[in-house]
Order: sequence, then C-alpha cells, then structure tokens
Amino acid sequence: MSDQTLPGSPVTVGGYLARVPGVAFILLAMVVAFQIGNPRFLSITNLSNVGLQASLLLMLALPMTLVILTSGLDLSVGALIGLAAVIIATLLVAGWSIFSALAAAVALGLVVGLLNGFMISYLALPAFVVTLGTMGLCEGLALALTNGEPIGGFTPALEAFYRAAVFGIPVPVLVAAAFYGLLYLVLYRTRFGIYIFAVGGNKDAVHLAGIRANLVHMAVYVVCSVSVALSAVLLLGRTNSAHPTVAVGMEFEAIAAVVLGGTSFEKGQGWLFGTVLGVLAITVLRNGLNVLSVEPSLQVVCVGVLLIAALLIDRNRKRPVARITE
Amino acid sequence: MKPKERSQCGSVDEASSFASVTNSDAGGAPLLRLANIRKSFPGVHALRNASLDIHAGEVHVILGQNGAGKSSLIKVLCGAYIADGGDIEFGGKKVSVRGPADASALGVAVIFQEFSLAPYLDIAQNIFLGREQGFMRLGLVDKAAMRRAARDILRQLGLDYDPATFAADLGVAQQQMVEIAKALSQNARILVMDEPTAAISEREADRLFEVIERLKRQGVAIVYISHRMKEVQALGDRITVMRDGAVVDSFQRGQVSAEEMVRAMIGRSLDSLSRREPRPAGAVVLAARHLRTAKLADISLEVRAGEVVGLAGLVGSGRTEVVRAIFGADPLTAGDLEFDGAPLAARPDRSARKGMALLPEDRKREGLALPLAVRDNATAASMWRLFRRGWFSPATAERVCADLIGRLKVATPGSAQLVRHLSGGNQQKIVLGKWLAAGSRLFMLDEPTRGVDVAAKAEIYRLIDELVRDGAAVLMISSELPELLHLCDRAYVMRDYRIVGHLDRDNLSERAILDLAVHHV
Amino acid sequence: MTTLQAPVSTALPAVPVPMLVRLAIIVVICVALSLISPAFATIDNALNLLRQASLLFLVASGLTLVIIGGGLDLSIGANLTLCACLSASVIKLTGQPVAGVAVALGCGTLVGLTNGLLINRLKIPAFLATFGMLWVAQGIAYWFMAGQVIYGFPAAFRFFGGGFWLGVPVPIWVMLAVGAGCLIFLTRTTIGREVYVMGANEAAASLSGIPIARRRMLLYALSGFAAGLAALIYVARLNAAEPGIGEPLLLPAIAAVLVGGTSLFGGSGSILGTLSGAVILTLIVAALNLLNVGSAWHPFVTGAVILLAMLTDAFAARRAGH
Repeated sequence: MSDQTLPGSPVTVGGYLARVPGVAFILLAMVVAFQIGNPRFLSITNLSNVGLQASLLLMLALPMTLVILTSGLDLSVGALIGLAAVIIATLLVAGWSIFSALAAAVALGLVVGLLNGFMISYLALPAFVVTLGTMGLCEGLALALTNGEPIGGFTPALEAFYRAAVFGIPVPVLVAAAFYGLLYLVLYRTRFGIYIFAVGGNKDAVHLAGIRANLVHMAVYVVCSVSVALSAVLLLGRTNSAHPTVAVGMEFEAIAAVVLGGTSFEKGQGWLFGTVLGVLAITVLRNGLNVLSVEPSLQVVCVGVLLIAALLIDRNRKRPVARITE
Repeated sequence: MKPKERSQCGSVDEASSFASVTNSDAGGAPLLRLANIRKSFPGVHALRNASLDIHAGEVHVILGQNGAGKSSLIKVLCGAYIADGGDIEFGGKKVSVRGPADASALGVAVIFQEFSLAPYLDIAQNIFLGREQGFMRLGLVDKAAMRRAARDILRQLGLDYDPATFAADLGVAQQQMVEIAKALSQNARILVMDEPTAAISEREADRLFEVIERLKRQGVAIVYISHRMKEVQALGDRITVMRDGAVVDSFQRGQVSAEEMVRAMIGRSLDSLSRREPRPAGAVVLAARHLRTAKLADISLEVRAGEVVGLAGLVGSGRTEVVRAIFGADPLTAGDLEFDGAPLAARPDRSARKGMALLPEDRKREGLALPLAVRDNATAASMWRLFRRGWFSPATAERVCADLIGRLKVATPGSAQLVRHLSGGNQQKIVLGKWLAAGSRLFMLDEPTRGVDVAAKAEIYRLIDELVRDGAAVLMISSELPELLHLCDRAYVMRDYRIVGHLDRDNLSERAILDLAVHHV
Repeated sequence: MTTLQAPVSTALPAVPVPMLVRLAIIVVICVALSLISPAFATIDNALNLLRQASLLFLVASGLTLVIIGGGLDLSIGANLTLCACLSASVIKLTGQPVAGVAVALGCGTLVGLTNGLLINRLKIPAFLATFGMLWVAQGIAYWFMAGQVIYGFPAAFRFFGGGFWLGVPVPIWVMLAVGAGCLIFLTRTTIGREVYVMGANEAAASLSGIPIARRRMLLYALSGFAAGLAALIYVARLNAAEPGIGEPLLLPAIAAVLVGGTSLFGGSGSILGTLSGAVILTLIVAALNLLNVGSAWHPFVTGAVILLAMLTDAFAARRAGH
C-alpha cells in the first residue's frame, strides 16, 4: 500500500457502488420484480402507501442506528412506543392538551433512556439484556394501564395529521424525512455525532481525548428512547387507537433494517442512509407480499430470510460495505 | 501561511514559532532533562539510574534489548509511571510529572504501537478528536475547515493524504502518520516513537524518516526507540544505550560504529547463564515445509525430539505467527506440516490431540480462563486424554491438578483458587501444566518468561530442561537473547515474516542473532 | 516487569453465599405468603407451584447451558411455540402421541442447530442470530396455525402435563430428570467442563484444543431440545396449542437464569441456581396473585427482576474489585 494511493475515499462511481450494502441491490431487484408482476406497483397511490408504511419504521430504525453504532442494541423500542401511545391516549382522553401529553411522552422516553444508558454505559452491562428488561417494564406497564384493552375515543386530530398530505406527500413521510435530516446533521455535523462513531470504534481513545465517553454513550440511548416515545404520535394516527402490544416486534424490523443497511455491531462502522435503504427494502418486501396475499406472519419470516440473504451477500464481497463517509 | 489558515491551526503555528527560539540554542541547554530516574516494582528494578537529555530539533535514539528499561523510561516521561526518585527538568526548571495530563502540558506526546484512532472517523476527525471547538460554525462542525486544517498539518509533514479518508482504510504506516499529525496539532514539542518501523515496510520507513527530518527542522525533539542499526545511524543525532535499567553510554552521531553500539547493548559477557551441554537429538517431531499464511512467507523448519529450538527475531518479525500457523490457529494458505512423520491438518483441536502444545504470548487473553479455578485451567487441554469416555471425575482432576501444582511448584492456596489471583509466574506455570497434563510432545513456547519474576523464570528453565530430557521437543520464542542462548541447541532467526537464517550450536551467539535479525545497511 | 498481584484470596466457602441468599429469599416469600393465606402452606399448593416452576425451569435450563458457554438464546420462547403447534397438529393428525413427541423434540433441536450454524458460519453475534430466529419461528407458527387453536388430546399424551406418578405431578419428575441431566452434564462430563472454559475465554479455550464450533452447536441444540420438551409439557397440561404460548416465557426464563446467579459474561453459573431462580420467579407470581395484582403486571415485574438481578451483580462485582 503506497502513501499516495489511499484506499477508501469513494471518488469513482464504481468505488461508491462497491461500498453500498447488498440490500440496495436486493431493493432494486424487488422493485423491478414487483413492477413486472403488478404494473400498479410504482403508481403514486402505492408509492405513497409504501412511504406511509416506511415512515413509522424509519422513526425507530434511525435512532437505532446510533445505538448500534456504539456497539449496542435497544430491544425496548417496540414496547416503549406502545407504552408511549397508551400514555398519550390516556392523557388525551383525560382531557390533557396534545402538548402536555407529548411532554409526558418525552418524560417517559427520558426515564427509559437514562435507565438503559446508565446501566449499559456506566455499569458496562450487556445492552441486549438490559434493554430486554426495560422492554418487560414497558410492555407490562402498558398492559397494566389498559388491562389489555385498546384505548380509543381521543381527539381525531392525530388521525387527521397522519392522513394529511402536503403537495401530495403524506405528512408522516415528511416527518420521517425531517427526522432523517435532523439525525443526519447530528451524526455528521455535530461533536456528539463524531463522538458516537468514536465511542463505537475506540472508547478508550475517546476517554484519552478528554471526552466524557460514558456520558456520550448514555446520551445515545436517551436520544433513541425520547424520539421513539415521540413517534407514538404516528402510531396513534395510524391505528386511531392505543393498543398496548400493537408495536411489539417492531424492534425486530428496526434492528433488521439497520443491519441490512450495512451498519455493524463493531468498530462504529455504519451509514445512516443505509438504514433508509434497509427500511425501504423491508417495507417494499412487505408491500409486495401483501399484494401477493401472503399472510403477515409469513412476511416476518421473509424479513428474516432477507436479513440472512443480505448478510451472506455482504460477507462474500471483497470490500467491507457501508464505509461511506456520510 | 495565509492569515486565514493560521487562525484555524494556531497550535501548529505556535510549534513553528517555538522552533525559531529553540533552534538557536540547540546543542546548548536541553529542552527536557531526566536525571537519575529510579523506578521499581516489587521484585524488579525497572529503572536503576537513568538519565536522558533531550534537545529541541534533535533525534535522540534509545537503544537497548528487551527489558533494558526503555519502555519504563518512556512511561515515566509521558506520565504513565511516576518515578520513585530522580528529577525531571523542563527548560532548566524542575517540574513534576504526576500523570499523563502533566506530560502533555509539557508538550510530550507518545506514538505507541497500538494506535488510538477511531476506525470510522476520517483523518481530520481523528486528528482533532475532542478539540472540535475551533471548527464550530452555527453550532455545527465545519467539516471543510477541519479538513483544511488537517490537510495543512499533513502538508507540514509532507503528506498528501485526503483528510476525508477513514482511519480504517489506512495502513499501519499511514495510521502512524495520522498519530504524528495528531500530536503535532496538539503542540507537541517532544515526540516519542516506540519502535515506529516495527510493522511497516522499508519504503514506508523512508517516508517516516523524511517526516522526522521535517519535524526536526521545526524544532520538535524526537525520542526514537529502535533496534535497527541502519535507522539508528541514519537518524540519531544522539544515541543513548540502556542496559538493565540504567543508561550505560551516550554517543553523538558518527562517534561510534554499529559494532560498538551492539557491544554496548549486549554489555557484559553472559557468564551468569551458562550454555547447555550438547544434547543428542532424536527423530524429527515436527517438519514444516514452505508454510504461507496471510502474513508469513515460505516458512520451513524442523524440530527434533530432545532438543530446544529457538525462534529468534525482533518483536513483529513474525515469530508468533509461525507458531500460531503450525498449531492451526491461523489458516495456512500453502505448505505442508508433518507431525511424527504423518501429515497434519492444522486445526487447534487436532493439533492438541496429536501432542502439540502452544503457550501463547498473551497468557491472560489466550492462555487462561482467568475467572475460573486453577483446576479448571489445569485440565482444560487434557479432558480428552484424562477421561477417555467423556465422564469427568472431580477426584481424578483434583489429583492431576495437585500433581501439577507439586511438580511445577505453583504457589496457590489450592486447586480451587481462581487463576486471576495468581502471580504472573504461577499463571504461566498453569499454562505449561495444562499441556503437561495433555501429554504433549512438542511444546511451542511464545515468550514463556515474559512478565515472570526471577524465581519463576528459573523454574520454567528447569522445566524446559526436564521436558527435553524426557524426549519432548521444544520450539521457543524469546526476545531475551541470553535466555535463548542459555536454553537452545540451535535457532532459526526471523525478519520481516521470513526465516532469514539458521544458527547451529557452534554458530549460535548473541551477535550472530542480532546480525540476522536487525536491518543492517 | 509487573509483579503487582492481587492478594491471594482465601479458599472458597463450601456453599456459595449467593445460593444461601436465594434459599433465604425462597423461605422468606413462603413464610410471608403462608401468613397471608393459610391455604398457601399445603402440600397440594406446593406441588402446584412446583409444577408451574417446572415449565419455566425447562426453558431456562437450556438457556443456562448456552449462557455458561458464552452465548445467548433469545429464541427459546418462540421455539417452544413452534414445537407446540407442530407437535399438536401431528398428534391430531395421527392420533399418535409418540409422533408428537418426536416432532416436538426434533423441531426444537433443529431450530437450535440452525442458531448454532448461523452464529458459526455467518459470524454474527448470538443475540442477533437468535433474535432473528425468534421472529422467524414465531412467524412460521402463526402462519401454520392460521388463527386456529388445536385442543383435545389423547389421555396418554395429557398424562405428561396433568398426570401424577407416586403422587407427584409428572412435570415435576421431568424437571427433576432434566435438572439432574444438566447437573451431570455440567459437572461430570468433559464437554460440560469445557463449556465453562469456553464461556470464560473463548480464545484460550480454542488454543487449548477445545473445538469451539462443535461445542456451540451442541449447546444450542440442547437449548432447542429443552424448548421442545417444555412445549410437550405445556401442550399436555393446557390440552391445547396456540401460537401465543411461548413468547411470554422468554423474559421469565432470562430472569430465572439471572436470579440463579449465572453470569451473562459466560463461564460461570449452575443449574441448581437456575432451579432456585425458577422457583423464586414462580413464588413472585404466586405472591402477585395472592395480592390480587393483575396478570397484566407480570411482564413489568419480570423486567424489574431482570434489571435488579443485573444491578445486584454489577455492584457485587464492583465491590469484589473485578
């Protein structure tokens, strides 16, 4: 390896493509296949439908990317969004304003995030078991608050918000896009973002540079939990009722999307836009399977198969994927 | 330098203005002086009386064998160790260095062999990690400005790297350069490099020397540790030789020949450790022919029953990789292995059952299960042999373990003691013991006496003698030449992942090994 | 070089203190519950509680083996579901309990082997592979059952869950047998001892000639087998199978293992600890029921137990200075 020819900087299109995770190609193939099988696949109606379905998953998968970049994992997001929905709905039914209810959701996210973050960062406990514990807390609390019954009858404004569109683009898609923009700035343009990559890559180096690495590490979990709790608004808008266990399992698709997007559990290697590709791949797959009338339960199995396929593809490629600077 | 850029990398600017001041009195008062530094650990005098003058704009080479005290001296310099005695003076004034922060405030930066880069941050982000405040615009990090500043610093080093490259995509030599740039950006006046050419190619080393020349011109003092005579002579303005924790000599450039330096390094003749009587070698136990791995090139060697064969060479010359490849821990890409005359597929579990033993270099990470008891570790490699039907008997394990504790004189309150609580020497005996219990006939020992006290060292020597007397074969790696000379019947010498020579009993000497192992002109 | 050593500690106590603490917890809960409800301290109730504990223990026993070996199996609950549904339908179809037993044990083992294969071959972390398997197994079960519940099995089969032998419910006998089997495996077989070494330091185990990949396959297969066995007991006891039965067992199983003192970092733990953990978890549920706390709270309490067990462990380790 000579000094002058540094590998890495993807200057050419080919160099860039070599680093795109395999899921991008799978996504492309699926779009082509579904379009051939059903010419209305790429219609405006269906695309906006895919966008709607993708938006909520994106709200969970994007902050999950930050968590996985620090070599961690958050299994509590599915239960947390369910609990946040229950709390928001309960408070709305009790006559609280939407903003007070949102503030309560933020508070909930803070508590869960701090609990996760403290145990994982400062006590160095394994993330998957800690967050499994908080998953139990959230799921149990949601069940206990509702006795397992869905809560409905709150303000129709949430559903209206979810169904609204600006210039033909559904509002949830805009929300998710804005959230992507925000996290993009945080991850690639702030010191916090730089430190996230550094904590995942070499936490000792972060300590040595005089940075409070544990605080950064904990903050990642707080960011994840708070944004997930706020995303409950979209969930409420979609279902128009708060069911305590409706979102259980969403953590799987969120994690799968991140892994599909080429983010690794090691070394702080990852790519935020890869997560978008992962989310789209899962959503398109499900959309296509829906058209083919495949049952939702089998769709989950297909997501698992997709994950293995993408991992196999990327394992057999010469160059590690998703080493893209932004 | 344009004014705009100056504001972005003020630190470098300071360094160069500092240079103009100090260059004038180079050769006069030292920038930093370590005087009569002493440091000891229980049972070991790491530094007995070490003094060092470091001048701005000079390369000061420290020469010495493993264990001569070079690393300890550096650790005192950078605040990782606190000296037991002696003075540190900076610019003529006595200072106290009580920790890394004190050292870096003095402008001391160390480039260790293990880098502190985050793999998926780019070069610029790594250089300025933790010091982004100079590049904030509207609350966001101005990447372009940071990269420009990084480019400037790299240019000062004569490097044309793209600052947007991930550290993960850099080779070892390039990462080293980034570390140097990082130190420079922090206004380092004294740059310590610990064997910087150990893991890089000759061309990359030439590049490094160019950079060092540049740094000298900028007034940076460089403390350079190396074994390589070529470098020492080419680079060193001042050469200090250490031996047994003390400075034994200090030369100016050109004062002495390489031969004299080597002699100063070796010092006394090695009467304390006598040579072994010649031993009759038996049948060939291990024959390796043209082994290749991702790193190793064309390794061929033979080990016979009843002999100790040394694998000499500097740290990073590929010795560890050879024994790992033979044991099957790293995949072979080419070559044949024969054990007891039969072909062997290198795979750790098969190698172990055939009678091969590997005592790894890093016993804590690779040799022992630290949270487990002595008896669990002692029997870890011999389950298949002690209990052929797969039924484990605690009583038998206890007996085997007690035998080993007695035979190896392991200092432990009992077989239930956790290995974590044993001393280094006793831990090493357990690693050896686990292979004794497995009835191994070829022992590959990678630095068996590293981090082991004197008494345990003698015990390990005695054990190796016993092993070969009983007909086992030993392939031994050591960085301590006296130890190799003391124990080995013959030795292979490695350099740059190849075997560069074989020394039989008559030709085996410290001088001969160093001749082959170091890079001469 | 560095000869700074930790002080040599004194010999270990014969009965580990944490085990005594767990037994004390059991006694305290039992005494407290007896005071609240006179019906608690009866043989019948004790057998009933143990029968409940047996299911939890079966699932947790395989998990214990995997965790001691340095891994993790999040798929046990879903695996149980899948085994239950498949074996139930086979019994319905053939009327042969033996066929159902074979299917449940075979399916469980197969899922476990797949986990091991994914980890060995794809080199992905255990939690990711088994977490994916959780959803795949569950998805297959839901799809297979298509919203149906299979119920009504031959008496010979129901005997596994509801029958008695020598006055003691059959599931308790199964629990004792599996417990004894695991105990023997972990303490009296060479592979069991190697599992501890592998869990404590995989690199050192590999360089000691222990075949890591094969041991890992075995552990995940055993974990899957245990899930299949638990599925049989569960279906026989419920006299019904539906795809929601297994998933709620994952958290309690992990809690039982943690309360039982098995370290999440591998290399330490015991099956008796897990047994006591399963009993404690069952007693906690019994206490909640006696105190009229709704079953909706169970996941909450289980989650809290998991977090508390980890915190206790972390602070104990910190005080011990590791």
